[in-house]
Amino acid sequence: MIEIKKLSRSFGNLLAVDNLDLDVGNEIFGLLGPNGAGKSTTVMMLTTLLRPSSGTAKVCGYDIVKDSKKVRSKISYVPQDMAVDRKLTGRENVMLFAKLYGIPNRNSKVDEVIEMMGLSDRAGDLVAKYSGGMRRRLELAQALVHEPEVLFLDEPTLGLDVSGRKKIWEHIRMLKAEGMTIFMTTHYLEEAEKYCNRVAIIDKGRIAAVGSPENLVSSIGENASLNDVFLEKVKTPEEQAGFNSTQFRNLLRRR
Amino acid sequence: MKAVFYYFERDLVKWLRGRVTVVSSLVMPAAWLVFVGLALPTKFTDNYLEFITPGILVMTTLFSSLQGGSLMIFDKILGFLNKFLAMPSPRESMLYGKILFISVRGLLQASVILLIATVLGVRVLNPISVLLIYLTLFLFSVFFSALSTMIGLYLGDHDSYAAVNSMISMPLFFTSTALMPYDVMPAWLRTLASLNPVSYAIDSTRLLFEGTIPVYGILGLATGAGIMVLLGTYQFRKAVV
Repeated sequence: MIEIKKLSRSFGNLLAVDNLDLDVGNEIFGLLGPNGAGKSTTVMMLTTLLRPSSGTAKVCGYDIVKDSKKVRSKISYVPQDMAVDRKLTGRENVMLFAKLYGIPNRNSKVDEVIEMMGLSDRAGDLVAKYSGGMRRRLELAQALVHEPEVLFLDEPTLGLDVSGRKKIWEHIRMLKAEGMTIFMTTHYLEEAEKYCNRVAIIDKGRIAAVGSPENLVSSIGENASLNDVFLEKVKTPEEQAGFNSTQFRNLLRRR
Repeated sequence: MKAVFYYFERDLVKWLRGRVTVVSSLVMPAAWLVFVGLALPTKFTDNYLEFITPGILVMTTLFSSLQGGSLMIFDKILGFLNKFLAMPSPRESMLYGKILFISVRGLLQASVILLIATVLGVRVLNPISVLLIYLTLFLFSVFFSALSTMIGLYLGDHDSYAAVNSMISMPLFFTSTALMPYDVMPAWLRTLASLNPVSYAIDSTRLLFEGTIPVYGILGLATGAGIMVLLGTYQFRKAVV
């Protein structure tokens, strides 16, 4: 569904994404990495919001630069900002997207996706009265109204409580079961381990590891978790500079 | 084209539901009309209210248009812009929806001011004049809302935008023909006023109140609005890739 070939993007001197190669099939794919690793930049290039500096990528067979409009007709993008209109009702928020996408029979389609996200009884309320979890589900409803083939989610569970996160994941699983491809970024590695079919860990714009969570974990050792894989593959600046914590502690003790 | 209307509708509904902002934006022009229009002693006319009404109508749409740029800034900061840009509908329709909304909002506000002026005794001669007054104000609004949206997109943050807005709005108003005609102005102000696009709109509106049709004024405003929309489209495309 997504083929990324030598994709790069720089901002001035900063190389945010560096020669990225990646293939994503019909799966739940998680893009993991520390803050500033290039996750959002990658998603923004794939959703045609940012032009790559070099390299190419195809989404649903369409080039993200040359056929960007066709790409946009096949995908939905939910950024991490929780951008829903507080002064509109839940239903009006979804209806706006249905209108912009030009959905036929939009009344029934809007009701259907609202129902699917479990928001039917609150659909007539202003979004200002919604909880964080409900707003996130409302964004999913907006994204689903035109039945995209690929759904891009940037930090979909960020800032939600445990039950809110669980609900979002259940919905993501359900969408996958219906044949949708989900490409997402997250910081919650336990969730990625549990729900993603495959993950890629990126660091400083490069792929540090890619594979199914089980395979990545077992390559590290028994009783390991995706957290261990992450810490193994992603070096903090201190580690790279050769920071030795034992030495540092001894130094402090001597004073 | 339909997308333009949907974006317009979104902003309109949101605006109408923010009751305070709907009323608050009317207070200042109404205050000018009543406290200055009815009270200021002038020598060049014995009905200052009638003279100042076109100026206040244009001022209402001017300030409304200049504030409008913040809408685009908020959509950008809050993440709406990216969501809309990732949709297949033509990207510029978002910009045109904004310009249309800001202009229509200005016209709605001007209507209230026109109503107040009518209650205070100002008269327009015929319905065609009223129609053309609306056209003039609309073209003028399009000019300034395209400009303010451009400034908003360029600056990208609300604080600097508010600073620029407060810097240019009052000088634009005071260097226009809103408060006095050209012949009573000091020479330096006359030069500034004759260069100010705000004067064009006021002069045309004033002629319409007197019953003359300012063909060149309206054509000039239409040209200006068209050019500003083209520039805005160019800058929007560059800003969003």
